[in-house]
Amino acid sequence: MKINRIKLPCRDAGQLKKICLVMKLTWLLILTICLHSTASVWSQTNQIALKKNNASLEDVFNAIEDQSGYRFFYNNDEVDVSHKVTIDVSDQSIGEILNQAFKGLPYTFRELENKLILIERVSVLAGVDGTQQSRTITGKVTDTSGAPLPGVTVVLKNTTQGTITDINGKYSIGNVTSGVKLVFSFVGMRSLEVSVDDQVIVDVSLEEETIGIQEVVAVGYGTQRKVNLTGAVSTISADALESRPVANVTQAIQGLSTGVEVVQTSYGGSLEGVASINVRGLNTIGEGSTGGPLILIDGAEGNINYLNPSDIESISVLKDAAASSIYGSRAPFGVILITTKKGTKGKPVITYSHNSRINKPMNFPETADSYRWALFINDASNNSGSPDFVGPERLQRIKDYIAGKPGVTNLPVDPGNPTRWAAGSVEGNDNLDWWKVVFKERALSQEHTLGLRGGGENVNYYISGGFLDQGGLLNLGGDGLKRYNVTANLETFINKWATFSYNGKFSREDYDRPSHFEDRFMQYMSRIQPANPLYDPNGNLYDVTTDRLSIIDVGGRYTRIIDHTSNQFGLRLEPVKGLQINGRFFYRLSDRFARTVKMKTYAHDVNGNPYVAESENFVSEYIERNDFISQDYYAEYDKAFGLHHFRVMAGLQSEENLFRKASATRHGLIITKNPTINVTTGTNSSGDPVAPSVSGAEDEWATAGYFGRFNYDYMGRYLLEANFRYDGTSRFRSDRRWGFFPSMSAGWNIARERFWESWSHHVSLLKIRASYGVLGNQNTSALYPTYATMSVGMNNGGWLLNGDRPNTAYSPTLVSSALTWETIKAWNIGTDVAAFQNRLHLTFDYFTRYTHNMVGPAPELPNVLGASVPRTNNTDLKTYGFELELNWTERLANGFRYGVKFLLSDAQTIIQKYPNHTRNIYSYLEGHKTGNIWGYETIGIAKTQEEMNAHLAGLSNGGQSALGSNWSAGDIMFKDLNGDKRIDGGTGTLDDSGDLRVIGNSTPRFQFGLDLNAQWKGFDFRSFFQGVLKREYYNGGYNFWGAGPNVWWATAYIPHLDYYRDDPNHPLGLNLDSYYPRPYFNGDYWSGSRNKATQTRYLQNAAYIRLKSLTLGYTIPSPITAKIKVDRIRVYLSGENLWTYTKISELFDPEVLDKGFTGSVYPLSKVYAIGINVSL
Amino acid sequence: MKLHIISLYTVLGLLFSSCADDFLDRAPISEITPANYLTDETHLSAYTIACYGPTNGWNIGDPDTDSQAAIGYSHMFAPGEWKVPASGGWSFSSLYNYNYFLETVVPRYHRGQITGNESNIKHYLGEMYFFRAMFYFDNLKTYGDFPIITKVLADDREVLTDASKRHPRTEVARFILSDLDSAINLMKTVSPDGRKNRLSRLVALQFKSRVALYEGTFLKYFNGTAFVPNGPGWPGKTKNYHSGFNFQSGSISGEIAFFLDEAMEAAKEVADQVGLVENNQIMKQTLSDPSNPYNEMFSSEDMSGFEEVLMWKDFDSSLGISTYAGKSFYGGNFGVGLTRGMVESFMMKNGLPIYAEGSGYQGDDSLQSIPVNRDNRLALFLKVPGQVKALYNTPVVVYEGVPDILANHEHQKYTTGYAHRKGLNLDNNQNNDGRSTQGEISFRAVEAYLNYIEACYERHGSLDDKAVDYWRKIRRRAGVDEDFQKTIHATDLAREAIGDWAVYSAGNFVDPVLFNIRRERRCELMGEGLRAMDLRRWRSMDQLISVPYHIEGFKLWGPMQHWYDPGQLTYNVGSSSSVSAPERSKYLLPYEKTMESLVYDGYRWHMAHYLSPIAISHFLITSEGNDIESSPLYQNPGWPAEAGIGPS
Repeated sequence: MKINRIKLPCRDAGQLKKICLVMKLTWLLILTICLHSTASVWSQTNQIALKKNNASLEDVFNAIEDQSGYRFFYNNDEVDVSHKVTIDVSDQSIGEILNQAFKGLPYTFRELENKLILIERVSVLAGVDGTQQSRTITGKVTDTSGAPLPGVTVVLKNTTQGTITDINGKYSIGNVTSGVKLVFSFVGMRSLEVSVDDQVIVDVSLEEETIGIQEVVAVGYGTQRKVNLTGAVSTISADALESRPVANVTQAIQGLSTGVEVVQTSYGGSLEGVASINVRGLNTIGEGSTGGPLILIDGAEGNINYLNPSDIESISVLKDAAASSIYGSRAPFGVILITTKKGTKGKPVITYSHNSRINKPMNFPETADSYRWALFINDASNNSGSPDFVGPERLQRIKDYIAGKPGVTNLPVDPGNPTRWAAGSVEGNDNLDWWKVVFKERALSQEHTLGLRGGGENVNYYISGGFLDQGGLLNLGGDGLKRYNVTANLETFINKWATFSYNGKFSREDYDRPSHFEDRFMQYMSRIQPANPLYDPNGNLYDVTTDRLSIIDVGGRYTRIIDHTSNQFGLRLEPVKGLQINGRFFYRLSDRFARTVKMKTYAHDVNGNPYVAESENFVSEYIERNDFISQDYYAEYDKAFGLHHFRVMAGLQSEENLFRKASATRHGLIITKNPTINVTTGTNSSGDPVAPSVSGAEDEWATAGYFGRFNYDYMGRYLLEANFRYDGTSRFRSDRRWGFFPSMSAGWNIARERFWESWSHHVSLLKIRASYGVLGNQNTSALYPTYATMSVGMNNGGWLLNGDRPNTAYSPTLVSSALTWETIKAWNIGTDVAAFQNRLHLTFDYFTRYTHNMVGPAPELPNVLGASVPRTNNTDLKTYGFELELNWTERLANGFRYGVKFLLSDAQTIIQKYPNHTRNIYSYLEGHKTGNIWGYETIGIAKTQEEMNAHLAGLSNGGQSALGSNWSAGDIMFKDLNGDKRIDGGTGTLDDSGDLRVIGNSTPRFQFGLDLNAQWKGFDFRSFFQGVLKREYYNGGYNFWGAGPNVWWATAYIPHLDYYRDDPNHPLGLNLDSYYPRPYFNGDYWSGSRNKATQTRYLQNAAYIRLKSLTLGYTIPSPITAKIKVDRIRVYLSGENLWTYTKISELFDPEVLDKGFTGSVYPLSKVYAIGINVSL
Repeated sequence: MKLHIISLYTVLGLLFSSCADDFLDRAPISEITPANYLTDETHLSAYTIACYGPTNGWNIGDPDTDSQAAIGYSHMFAPGEWKVPASGGWSFSSLYNYNYFLETVVPRYHRGQITGNESNIKHYLGEMYFFRAMFYFDNLKTYGDFPIITKVLADDREVLTDASKRHPRTEVARFILSDLDSAINLMKTVSPDGRKNRLSRLVALQFKSRVALYEGTFLKYFNGTAFVPNGPGWPGKTKNYHSGFNFQSGSISGEIAFFLDEAMEAAKEVADQVGLVENNQIMKQTLSDPSNPYNEMFSSEDMSGFEEVLMWKDFDSSLGISTYAGKSFYGGNFGVGLTRGMVESFMMKNGLPIYAEGSGYQGDDSLQSIPVNRDNRLALFLKVPGQVKALYNTPVVVYEGVPDILANHEHQKYTTGYAHRKGLNLDNNQNNDGRSTQGEISFRAVEAYLNYIEACYERHGSLDDKAVDYWRKIRRRAGVDEDFQKTIHATDLAREAIGDWAVYSAGNFVDPVLFNIRRERRCELMGEGLRAMDLRRWRSMDQLISVPYHIEGFKLWGPMQHWYDPGQLTYNVGSSSSVSAPERSKYLLPYEKTMESLVYDGYRWHMAHYLSPIAISHFLITSEGNDIESSPLYQNPGWPAEAGIGPS
């Protein structure tokens, strides 16, 4: 018989490499088609009997080929087929025969398609070592109950070779030599490594990953096993942050942890600002001190928003005093500890992740066209006793323009000045939806992160670089943000007892927007008339002076660069076992450069001749540098005496923060491209010199403190922890500077008791814990609150002197040199439960926190003082609430794994002491909750004059005249709660609040998060809902009401048109059952009066639920990716803010309804993203 | 490098708490502490300049009087609608700023601890006395009796409650005069900037004449009412601390004489020193027409060259300091229209009132006929269709054909049909909305002339030579027959009462001489913001209590109705009526178009409205246990001590 042998000179260059590649690709294909079967078919179906004594390998191959129909091929240069072997088997598989034949030889084999068996030489190393043996290993993977686990990834450690278990949990992996390790991994199960010596069958059983129980969490100056925690600590895992198409970490953590609230600011969805973070409700009333959580990144204070979310390994939130008191004065209101990724021993792993996003603005109010706007405004004018604001002639033009009547332009010529266009706000008849003019339909963004992670004997490393290009939503002018991040974490094991670490971070954020898009812009924006044009009839930009809308496009740019460079050096010594000494030196340099350029802009007259519209023409630079130095040194000793386990830690820390800033402004830009101060003339638009405006300042603050901790536990059953901190701050004078802040906590893990043994199968963790601690708050708003300073301004006077703005000065404010620490005392009781084989986890905490001696507005004093009364420590409040976290994760027999996580937290605040001498209800009241809304009770809208008259007749002692005059049909009827036959608010004090009562509370209550996730066969799914279950809000501004104090403070959105109309011939139709009463202008900008008075009918139910994020990902099976030398490829689709349910007026977004000027804010975005994660 | 030193220092330092204290001792680095400031002339200058006026605004004129009418009416003329506020109202924050300065600088000055030019230092000190006087004058006008505080007070409730005691108005007025005397003694005759952008001795003198005349006439006309100390029902009597009050001069008539004498003396000094700007009676209509200084005084970008201007405010739009003034004079004065009464108040050139026989009055059937043969001030300042309103930086722009009475926004609205052009600058660039840079007059010397004439007549019942001279100068400049006796003889007070509240004091006609002095003041100071003050001190609104007054504009329902599309002149059609009905008056009634107007039946008045109510929160905070009676404060006459309701 002729042996058909194929020579494969694979090591030759050229064409054959292509063959190899084709082969690899073919393999990939095969694996994809018959994932679970190929490896084991022949070994089970071809049983062979063979007896050869001292025969050549070639003979053995021939014999097998004869019996089985398989054919061998190999490279003659690699395989010495003349080698003599002895084989004696009956009824064995080809694999087993070959394993025997190759024993001690450097050959391995693989089955290919079409009954081909490839013989290859194994690696040189293995070949040199004559004892190595290459073979195929088979086996079965089960879970702890013995059920087979399909889909488990089995790889040879540190190689790309691997497979996946079939439906019966079986696997087969070829080409295995002795001394290697097999790694079994499966989502939801603890990974397992098994050393392979000479066995051929490796059956393993994987344990479920016990979430939370064995987990180690970061706590202040160290780590703690979660099971042994006695304080209130919650964690956020990196998984939950992955694939979130967000602009910063703050957005990503919203709702992920109980007790952590993310509050939007007046910036709303603008990239210029970020939301703020709050832990456990109201901490101070913010009248002289601030109280955010301390955010520590790898142990040093940092800004969470300049981090690349991909660099985060884990986040711990220390919520109660016991957990955070180790940070003393800096951490009275919780700590957020962020740990970034570190290197790990092993081969270098390169990761790359990318996502591309589309941001779409949410909640544009639907704008009425200019005709309906005009009708609304005219009705409001008429109701206020004024004739139509939009006269018949203009109204006709508006109608004609909408109808597209030929020859009707959007703006007439100024009747008072025929060379100029008329004022758009007075004569315009355009029809614009300004929201759509100013904002885009969509903005594009992208994010890239490249990382390298690995480690060896002496060093571990993690290095990453990230780039975010986030597009803003501004259509006119445009805005955007770019962030660059570089992170390097290195650890060097100098010797057995010394480790040196270095952590370096750099971030840059570039932000830019039109310079005229300032704070007030959104307020202008929400009240500009739809009839006011953007372009004049000649197509030139129209000069809308006060609103500045048209010039944001051409009026210059504001650009801001913020750099953070931080370096942290650490040395860890372990001279004797159990004793660790740590020293860390952290230095961060932050620079901020901002440039405002305002350019002269031109409008054009009727004949197209330009004239100066905006004469402001300058470059302004602002520079700020911040040096932050933090050092901490601490030692920890860990020792067990039998079942008693002790840990003691002590150390000291100092922080120093230095700020320097300077700014300069000079007028008279010469060129408009790349404008800098150098290219300004220093003259105003009429050519007269203007003194440049310059300023500079320096500030600093420092803290120093000593801390210590003692831990004790008995068999993990009884747990005890005590902390202390002794802190000083530069903010107070030396006699009131230092504070001592102790805390105690204890826990009892009942599940570790003997009597529980029979239950421990069901409930493996049942811990109750309690803590109490005292903390201080040094975060007074002022850096030098005990020093009186003069308020001096340079070139800022409003009264010109010799053509320039003069310097100004004002009297110093009064200060209290007795100012000192706010004291925070906090109780916490909680329980942790793990049950049903750790599938269910429950954590519950109840807390009470007292803020004593809060820096508050000093006593209300008679006005004759003439100065604001100095703030003192004179206010107390109590915040209390609970947090519940329920987590269920389960893996079904078919490999489907799912998890449900429910988070619920609540916090309320009661003012216990406040200097409100007159008990004014619009201020804080002792014994009352914060956020109470006082208002009238609404009876309804009077549908007829008779109804109103009857109502007023019942109010014989003054009717509703305290709220306004001329009450008629379409107005609100209020209820006389105190029976004095008139409607009024009394003196507005608790003793006499008239007909006002508490009608709601604006504190967000019962904040919840719901995380539903699942994984199956490489697919992963996560949906995350977040919301507030109870909150009320009252908006008295024009954004809610349409008509504000006068026609200039008014707007008309579609919902505003649902107002009372009793005229059947009204162009908008009869509307007796309206939502709104008849519109009315009143002179009050902020709070409503008359129909707009705070009242039950228009109280908004601000509860909401929002699908904050949704992700669907697919991980390509590793055997496939392995073939292109890639460890892991995951692709995903994700979205943010995709769905919301709320009962709030459709004019507002529930997250920002109280932000900005009566709710006009830069819109938040809905995001759609597509992304990929790759690791090599 | 500093950081290295600090780090080493910290580690070592922390081991010893006292060193840690050094580490934590951080005083402000770049802030100025009070001890180091107000020690140099430049500091004083910066501090006082910050006290100057509002940063922006336009000549709002005299709305809510019989002379001008804004788009909206004031609730002041609808008794019951002006209510006692719960909070707000009086504020002492600027006073704190002034007192801090005086308390700090005066002792340093006397100890010679302030560096710089002595006369400048004195000038700035004088400025601060002036500002304090101005603060007190504002509050005297608004509240009458008022706490006098000359020191920075301790933040102690008891001290502050005690300091809240109201001083009788005569004491307040005397206090103002004494501050002004300090200002007069300390300030330079010409301000240090040399361009009259700052206060000066002359300004202080003129202001002193204003305050003294105010108080002298107020006391005279309110004598015998609850509005003057010790008058019947004076609320101050309810407080023990006023039980022994006596006028400094012993009697109210003594006080009246004192203040009027002071007014005359101060006014005389200014009037004798400062001449009036010439009026060549030319209204510039072409580039070749000569300028008229009297016209340009009100509208120039640089007003320093006009002798009569004692102080003015400068603007520069590229520095963000600009106004709406240009826009206002181009259009309808931002809706603040002249009333028929104001326009009719001007005499004829020949010195006769318009109604007098042989006056030559052409009637008011058209805007063009009104200024014919009139007082040149009306001819110069009344806007008439066809007049040129922009010559520079533009093709010639002519005043629009017809006053836009139908517009409803201040940019174009002619509330009454009448508008003035006192302040019109012929440069088209001044028209830019909110970017006018023409100056604003703060004080002009003609007021001193007028103050003297009036004070003299009120004090002596006759005019002395100086008064006669001043009056003649004013009339000469106005292009009116200097013989004021001729006007006086021809004056019919009953006829004047149609358009001028100042015919009355305390509900009765005043004598024709006094009325004509008041008329002169009204015409010369038209639109300059002093009318409301004058009407109050003259007690000229009592008659509105029983007989409502209808604010009238131009004669719409004469031939001028044909200037408008008849379809647009809607009336008696409910809330969307655009004009008042012809059967109510031939003249446009700006506030009587719809029944929704609270003054549909005319302006009415309540005695209490002569002063403002004090907000209830100030009573509560100075009381014990929210018992208003225990507060040292008392409410002004006629106002209740309860929030949210009007005077009874």
